Amino acid sequence: MNEVKENMAYKPQYGPGTSKVAENRRKQMNPNQKLEKMRDVTDEDIVLILGHRAPGAAYPTAHPPLAEQQEPDCPIRKIVTPTDGAKAGDRVRYIQFADSMFFAPCHPYQRTYTECYRFRGIDPGTLSGRQIVECRERDLEKYSKELVETELLDPARTGIRGATVHGHSLRLAENGMMFDMLQRSVLGEDGIVRYVKNQIGEPLDRAVAIGKPLDEKWLKAHTTIFHSLGGTAYRDDKEYIEYVQRIHTLRTKYGFLPKEA
Amino acid sequence: MTEAIYPQVRIVSARFLRPDTVEELLNRLVQIGGILRMSLTGQNLPATVPYGPARGKPNPHPDRKVIRVGDQDVQLQVQVGNVILELEDESYIPAVEEAVEEVFASKDFSCTVQRGRFMKTQPTISDYAKYGPDADKEILGLVDPRKKEGPIIIQGNK
Repeated sequence: MNEVKENMAYKPQYGPGTSKVAENRRKQMNPNQKLEKMRDVTDEDIVLILGHRAPGAAYPTAHPPLAEQQEPDCPIRKIVTPTDGAKAGDRVRYIQFADSMFFAPCHPYQRTYTECYRFRGIDPGTLSGRQIVECRERDLEKYSKELVETELLDPARTGIRGATVHGHSLRLAENGMMFDMLQRSVLGEDGIVRYVKNQIGEPLDRAVAIGKPLDEKWLKAHTTIFHSLGGTAYRDDKEYIEYVQRIHTLRTKYGFLPKEA
Repeated sequence: MTEAIYPQVRIVSARFLRPDTVEELLNRLVQIGGILRMSLTGQNLPATVPYGPARGKPNPHPDRKVIRVGDQDVQLQVQVGNVILELEDESYIPAVEEAVEEVFASKDFSCTVQRGRFMKTQPTISDYAKYGPDADKEILGLVDPRKKEGPIIIQGNK
């Protein structure tokens, strides 16, 4: 895991803004801040949801372990310690999330920032309605566990979806679940959400429980999404607007060699 | 195609509806009478996974159900979000509003009834290019006219 060094010349700010939403964003991004653990999911459950290998199977490899192969004389390789997955030569695999606009605790851009601050050896891809993160399989399972178990995920408003992700901008269902064409997760009579299919929509041998949906009050207090209907409106956070406008102006003027007064 | 003289309403709920709620709502609407055509719209729930690595595999979905409306069985193919109605005349609108209010009174989310024009009145060039000159104008603009299953006819109580 990454952490900010004590003796750095400056203190990272992570993001602008005075609102609760901005504060939640900073909290998630700051690697020194421990994310609240909301639920327990076993390693086997994670492997089942990911669907990349059978639980208990050996990790397939893309290349021999680093210790067994001759590496070129490269100064960068001497500086960077390989992650466990890279050391073992694992394949690169992925996990993808879709976050509902209705006060999900995280959202694609936020996920990418958070992961870049917190994890090593990852390749995140950010899209409007989904966010994918690729890395070595062994590392992926470790990171996925953290992404699923902590406050970054709400069982109802966040979907683990490898394909057919549509739903983040749609109305919620009557029971509060985000629309999923493949219905990978089902809200049971007992109020617990269970994954009945893996992230690409193949039925699982057994259902994987990931806990109860968080209530509306908790979601509104912990969301990182600005929402003018029922939440914090973006325009109410003056500092955020000022910052974004400054970046926008500087980007636009970039070709003219901007100089700040 | 619809005749522009008939009034239309759209019932929009704040949440996607469960099949049993749809069944309750439609049965209540059917009792009112005066409905010429009805269309259920929402997100498609395909019978097989349409794309991705699991493409072609069956897609069991708890909301893709057969519901009973009036004297007919209706296979739901979408997660119902809106119900569009074409009525005989405007006098039926208050009754529709009342029925909607009644069904949604016990729910913790709202549902509105909008008046306007929600069905196509004229085929477009794209419709002509896609479906040709002989497409069934009764359903054009509501569903794909190439679909094998025709509309479901619920007998009125007149």
